[in-house]
Amino acid sequence: MVLAGSTTKVTTTTTVATATSGCALNRLKSRRNPEPQKDELRLTTEEELLQRDFITPVNVLGLQRVTENYLCRPEDNVFDIDFIRFKIRDMETGTVLFEIAKPSSSETEEQDEEENGEVDSSAGRFVRYQFTPAFLKLRTVGATVEFTVGEKPINNFRMIERHYFREQLLKSFDFDFGFCIPNSKNTCEHIYEFPQLSEDTITEMVETPYDTRSDSFYFVDNKLIMHNKADYAYNGGQ
Amino acid sequence: MGLLTILKKMKQKEREVRLLMLGLDNAGKTTILKKFNGEDIDTISPTLGFNIKTLEHRNFKLNIWDVGGQKSLRSYWRNYFESTDGLIWVVDSADRLRLEDCKRELSTLLLEERLSGATLLVFANKQDLPGALSSDAIKEALDLDNIKTHHWCIRDCSAVTGKNLLIGIDWLLDDISCRIFTAD
Repeated sequence: MVLAGSTTKVTTTTTVATATSGCALNRLKSRRNPEPQKDELRLTTEEELLQRDFITPVNVLGLQRVTENYLCRPEDNVFDIDFIRFKIRDMETGTVLFEIAKPSSSETEEQDEEENGEVDSSAGRFVRYQFTPAFLKLRTVGATVEFTVGEKPINNFRMIERHYFREQLLKSFDFDFGFCIPNSKNTCEHIYEFPQLSEDTITEMVETPYDTRSDSFYFVDNKLIMHNKADYAYNGGQ
Repeated sequence: MGLLTILKKMKQKEREVRLLMLGLDNAGKTTILKKFNGEDIDTISPTLGFNIKTLEHRNFKLNIWDVGGQKSLRSYWRNYFESTDGLIWVVDSADRLRLEDCKRELSTLLLEERLSGATLLVFANKQDLPGALSSDAIKEALDLDNIKTHHWCIRDCSAVTGKNLLIGIDWLLDDISCRIFTAD
């Protein structure tokens, strides 16, 4: 779950999350998308997927590592899906750890003009997050995304998010939003137990910033239409 | 199969439950959802789409869907019926003028094939407001006693104070788990 990197603004921060955004590690998934069994899953590589005309959920579930490229183009988002807010809260204390919101579209347009039409293919698709080590010790968190949908109804909207530390898959998260109303604004909060990591892994994650990375894939009718990326550091405040 | 075996089976199985919360606009659906999950309820605006929460509660994996209740959105409700285990119908107990609307929308829902397997919980919300009708009065106004097609229950509640929210949801989960999770 990634907000447009160049246009995000931080509205709150705490000692746990000191910078711009957060990750939504989650083991919850929808019943309508049972995770394929290991033997059903055909392992694949990014190179292989880049040859395809379009990419399906089963394709990305077969990936073994984080991708280096974007597996679709920004213009493939023909449904004008726009992620406009991300919030994460610690359920144990009820504290909002951070909340970032995309400026309204009028503000964004002004910014675009100022930038003199410079084109960056990753603009709006990549976010760098910075946390303090305490973030890795959280137990239960609630991660909210808010998104808007364009003029066309969406029949089957699905999200798959994969988080890796180096080659290790920390979490694969799969959720079916199903139908989205045209011109709607929607929110989704996943409340979940944070994955329990070994002390060694935590130490390594803190010591090697940005080796923790994620891919967020969004599908409409089983076809990839958005691909966002993020990386994470946990050495904030040190 | 003995009871113990069934209980064991239930424990092993991931018990995912889908709840759909509907009602007229301004009934308090989003406030209920947020209050139930310990979220701040000071700034709530009309829902122009859906709000989803996924959470674990009593070993259930709950997916709660709150879909906007404005007239223009009601025709989209049917897109969210599929796989619904529990329907939560939220009523603004102080909105006497629209009780007839409220009754009509609910009875339309109960005719839906795809909701035929769902348990119905009616929340007589906004009990904190002066002039709120009691749950008995709401029961009568919505003609709940005549529902023969669904398991149902009505609870008075207040999304603002949180009164009876947990009790209502727990009743819903008990009914659903009796029907579904011990059946196989």
